[in-house]
Amino acid sequence: MATSSSSSSSAEVVTERRGIPGAQFVEDVQTYLTQTGFDCNSALAFLQERLQQYKMVEMKLQAQQRELLAKIPDIEKCLDVVATLQAKKGTGEALITDFEISEGIYSRASIEDTDSVCLWLGANVMLEYSCEEATALLRKNLDNAKASLEVLLADLQFLRDQVTITQVTIARVYNWDVHQRRLRQASPSAKDS
Amino acid sequence: MQQGGGSETEVTWEDQQNINKFGRLNNRFHELEDEIKVAKESNDNLEDAGNELILTDEEVVRFQIGEVFAHVPKEEVETRIEEMKEVTSKSLEKLHEEKESVLAQMSELKQILYGKFKDSINLEED
Repeated sequence: MATSSSSSSSAEVVTERRGIPGAQFVEDVQTYLTQTGFDCNSALAFLQERLQQYKMVEMKLQAQQRELLAKIPDIEKCLDVVATLQAKKGTGEALITDFEISEGIYSRASIEDTDSVCLWLGANVMLEYSCEEATALLRKNLDNAKASLEVLLADLQFLRDQVTITQVTIARVYNWDVHQRRLRQASPSAKDS
Repeated sequence: MQQGGGSETEVTWEDQQNINKFGRLNNRFHELEDEIKVAKESNDNLEDAGNELILTDEEVVRFQIGEVFAHVPKEEVETRIEEMKEVTSKSLEKLHEEKESVLAQMSELKQILYGKFKDSINLEED
């Protein structure tokens, strides 16, 4: 029989984070099954489904992570270019660069002293900014991207923890079931003897 | 995670947290391995670039800034490459340190978890 104290099999854990349901930690399998009214198979089915849902969310978050990881070096490159232009400003000489106009085809450009740059904002919009404004905007975007990435990584960690808890719970319910079957098999033979 | 043969070992919340921590460390370990690979490649490339630079006769080198290749005098390119090498080797060192720490924490957790669960748990790479 289920022994001991434990009032309920609830966990001291965050119940959900940004829409991701937390996995309930099971203190005692017997209590958990009685509480939820599940039998072993339905409990296993429920937990498996939860696992699938977690996997879906994980894929979505990982896609967002890849996006951000590509965006950040891009912004850093832009900052680099603006910084170079600003550095050249004082010297009075033009900056000569080779740039790609098509795959494998490059052209030469001579960039005079300039006070402004144009930034591509996306959605077919490009705006002209002064070098300082451009640097400030790019830095702000970089900081935002890095902050979003951090939140995303924390979300992913939380998610992985819930996946682990669910996997362990599945294993324990399964083991408990096997154990119960063994006990049931043992008792009929005890009655016979 | 391996399923035990119907053992009775109870899993406490503390055990679960240890298992979670191990999982997180394992993930971080793999991420670090990838990051170390990338940083090492980058370092090697900078090394090669530096060497090529010494061999070249040209005074002006096309140095990639962002998406374009700017014409930059050789000395400035040398300085830039040195700076970039500094940054990558520092980052590589930090990554290695973090990797060592992660591995140490993982083996500690392995001891604890194997101690309690013995065969009922599998913490090895598949």
